Amino acid sequence: MNREQAEQILSKTFCIDKFYDTQWEVIKRLLIGERILLIEKTGFGKSLCFQFTATQLSGTTIIFSPLIALMRDQVNKLNSLGIPVRCINSNQELEENNEIIAEAIAGNIKILYIAPERMENIDWLASTRQMNISMVVIDEAHCISNWGHDFRPAYRRIINLVNLLPISFPVLACTATATLRVEEDIKNQIGNINYTYRGNLLRENFRLFVIKVETEEEKMAWLGKNLNNLPGTGLIYTGTRVNTEIYSRWLKYLGIESKNYSADLDADQRKEVELGLLENRWKCIVSTNALGMGIDKPDIGFIIHTQIPESPIHYYQEIGRAGRNGDKTFIILFYNPNADDDLPIYFIENHKPVITKYYKVIEALKRSRLGENDIIREANLKKTEIRVIKADLIDQSIINEVLDGRSKKYEYRFDAPELNYSAFDEIMQHKQRDFRKIREYIYTYDCRMKYLTDYLGDNLKGKCNKCDNDTNNVKVVDFYEDWKEKIETFQESYYPQLEVKALHTKLQSGFAAAYYGFSNVGKTIHKCKYKNKGDFPDSLLNITIKAFNANFKSTDFDLLLYVPPTESGDLVRNFASKLARELKIKISHSLHKSKPTKPQKIFQSSLMKSENLKGVFIYENQSEINGKKILLIDDIWDSGASMKEIGKYLTSLGAEKIVPLVIAKTVGGDV
Amino acid sequence: MIINEWTYWIAITQLKGWRIEAVNKLVVNIFHEQKSSFEEIFSLERNELSNRYNLNEKECLDIINLKEELPNYSFLAEDLKSQGFEIIPINSPDYSPTLKENLKLKSSPTVIYIKGNRKILMEKSIAIVGSREADDISLEFTDNVAKKASKEFKVIVSGFAKGVDRQALESAMKYTGQSIIVLPQGVLTFGSGYQKYYQQIVNGDVLVLSVFHPKAQWASGLAMARNPIIYALAHEIYVAQSSDSGGTWHGVIDGLRKGREIFVRKPEPNEKNANQLLIQRGAIPVDLHGEIQESKKYIENAIEEKYIFKEHHKTKAVAEPDIVEKIFGILKTGSYTSAEIIQKAQLNWKPGQLTKFLKEQNNVRMSDSTPKRFTIVGEQSETLF
Repeated sequence: MNREQAEQILSKTFCIDKFYDTQWEVIKRLLIGERILLIEKTGFGKSLCFQFTATQLSGTTIIFSPLIALMRDQVNKLNSLGIPVRCINSNQELEENNEIIAEAIAGNIKILYIAPERMENIDWLASTRQMNISMVVIDEAHCISNWGHDFRPAYRRIINLVNLLPISFPVLACTATATLRVEEDIKNQIGNINYTYRGNLLRENFRLFVIKVETEEEKMAWLGKNLNNLPGTGLIYTGTRVNTEIYSRWLKYLGIESKNYSADLDADQRKEVELGLLENRWKCIVSTNALGMGIDKPDIGFIIHTQIPESPIHYYQEIGRAGRNGDKTFIILFYNPNADDDLPIYFIENHKPVITKYYKVIEALKRSRLGENDIIREANLKKTEIRVIKADLIDQSIINEVLDGRSKKYEYRFDAPELNYSAFDEIMQHKQRDFRKIREYIYTYDCRMKYLTDYLGDNLKGKCNKCDNDTNNVKVVDFYEDWKEKIETFQESYYPQLEVKALHTKLQSGFAAAYYGFSNVGKTIHKCKYKNKGDFPDSLLNITIKAFNANFKSTDFDLLLYVPPTESGDLVRNFASKLARELKIKISHSLHKSKPTKPQKIFQSSLMKSENLKGVFIYENQSEINGKKILLIDDIWDSGASMKEIGKYLTSLGAEKIVPLVIAKTVGGDV
Repeated sequence: MIINEWTYWIAITQLKGWRIEAVNKLVVNIFHEQKSSFEEIFSLERNELSNRYNLNEKECLDIINLKEELPNYSFLAEDLKSQGFEIIPINSPDYSPTLKENLKLKSSPTVIYIKGNRKILMEKSIAIVGSREADDISLEFTDNVAKKASKEFKVIVSGFAKGVDRQALESAMKYTGQSIIVLPQGVLTFGSGYQKYYQQIVNGDVLVLSVFHPKAQWASGLAMARNPIIYALAHEIYVAQSSDSGGTWHGVIDGLRKGREIFVRKPEPNEKNANQLLIQRGAIPVDLHGEIQESKKYIENAIEEKYIFKEHHKTKAVAEPDIVEKIFGILKTGSYTSAEIIQKAQLNWKPGQLTKFLKEQNNVRMSDSTPKRFTIVGEQSETLF
């Protein structure tokens, strides 16, 4: 097929007249069975390279992509062109996925999108033996590399696979963000790459700004004053989940439509927010970096970071989705030198668990073959830590992930090498270097676009002439005093939500009077609990009453219960008694533990926390609960395991409604 | 071992209608005679294949067709690698020299699939074989021989069947010897077996091995086909108890025919088994501790006892492991006549021969209709445990 013929098909099938030269070259090479690495910026048209090729090959092209939202969009788009394309993912019902697999085996599907994790699925692996597979595409290929900004262990099996594919089988790896180092790493891992294409990364419609501030409140003030002046709708990235909630509620408080998004949301909630974003339902989404790569919205008008990211490559990736339609888009980074370095430095220094935790897992697996939950119990580590450790140990060929029937088990390898922990130190130093580079971005007086793209391996001639430095349009916040009062009123009326997602329980979402670490509240509780400073003082009682009045004034509670203590004696009992007196709700002291439990904080995982409490709560006069609206009191909400367990128990006794109210909610292990 | 070649190795064992010998010859041809590679042979056109590799038209076509399936085998190879299995091809220095020596090019499996300490394949080894329903005395013999072998650092090769096989394995572990478990199924379907022998595998004392397609389910046909592998993996063969038909009997008779030394437990006078018959056929009698007896006395005994058993065993239909696997693969997909199976599997058997073979398989059902049709039954219900 020559280019002219190909472009005839292109205009018929895809309603596009011409290929870019690079697109055509990639396609030509794939059609003769080459392996290609394609590094091009967002909006270049990388997808067309494999989509067109797939339609010209006999059989099914498999596309590994980590982004479910993006997969869905592509599937819809291609189906509307009449190309048979499907995706398999964990958000779909098993039946639907099985039907799609059957169709692929029958040869009715041209392109099949799947998540990398699918390579661990037994049904998928069985079905691959029967499909006629024509090409493999690795999207977001930077996820292969430990030196990239978004290393994903699930890509390991794709690398294995590609290395086991016949050498003349077409493979395309693509990414929009790869430093030279990452490019090298991808090439090393995917052997026999025939050709690498690297385009320039300049985004001409970007308006890059950095706004230096002295406090978090200045960021709030700037957003309050200016957000509505920014074009269209957009994204605000905060560093933490808590801040997504705070900023989103701040904007709502000012009457600006906004929605928060983080990994706390379940699949349906996420889908809903993603859809709302496409439909411009809100001025902005306030999100952690859980949202980002997955959005295929062409007209994002602004992307604002309230928190400095870990590196220029993180930053370039996160802003990459803005302005894909070519319209002017505002890219703003706030920086508070007094506080903002802490979070990225914490992440960098703790990117791997300490070495002793690795050995705990290794020793446990030397003794027996275990599933993930067994490892969590044996090693008493958090699930997130176990996942990192597991992935690293698999990567270093120390353990295997195996299938026993349908369940995953982990095995220590007979000839396993010693753990190479120093490899992680090297990555950490690399990350520290990267963090210094993003700080240089803040302080540079030169073109910001050139700074970013050069860092990524480009060599931009000249300047973008659009960033704050190039246009001499440096923004400052010199109007904070006007906003001070508004922000203080907002903060005083701010109560963290206690979110309950479980089904089959009458326990509802409740509130805390404050965050544990954000004020003196945490310190005060700590002193009383662990340093024997006596009952919780009235200041805590007062803020709790305020939280109650702000949120539940209209509810008539029948009964006030409190979580029976493990070790802190009568603190909560006395506090609840005082509260009951003030709120004029009948208190009951009949909720007990049927057996002593261990303090929840010695357990690292929520799995073990909830197992520690399973079935331990007991209420003396059980008939008393039936049909009651109950206010449930505790001092601290950490994982919420105790209150959830009590909620389940009271539900079984017929409670009509259970609402948790606590003094403080922790943020990621403050206690 | 170059992991990148696993895909090709698995693929060539699945060449339709090819006997092991033909596949092995192809390997020799590619790597030794042509000094070539899998990559090259799979890139050749039909006429180049036939010229350079001296293959007939069907063989060339088979290879060209197999090329289409290579990506599928890549997924299987990746699954194996990821779960910690290894593939050892016949030309690898890690391949069992004993196996190769005993089975030669004609029937050495082209690849073996393993998990565990592959160095065990290089050690001196013994197999203790015998009935699934062995008597206590045979189990005691097995324990004695396993103890002695473990003390001498010899590896016990076990077929993992009930009775003598399992006793041999348990004893090897008891005396902290090393063992090879030879599976009558694919390595990916051994499931809880890995759990059971986990500690021994981790410590390097047990190697799990299979010569079948990794996904093959247990089947009695595969169990039969596995027996020659057990014999061939062992330097020495000890028979604890044999009846006058079945796997042990045929294995020993076959071994004797090939001129191998086989040691048989000398039975007590009132034992109802065929040990004595095997001794008559040329096996070497040993005592309860596996020590060789003065042969003369035993020959006398043998003459006395030869009337106890009638020689009514006709040779059973036996088949190479790869062919058995193919036949069962076809049976799993429906019910067929012998002629249809021969055609599908491209066997050079006579229908009568296949019918006889199928009748002897206890998990194959024959229809009442004419011509007789065969299907597989209770494939999942029978277990090894």
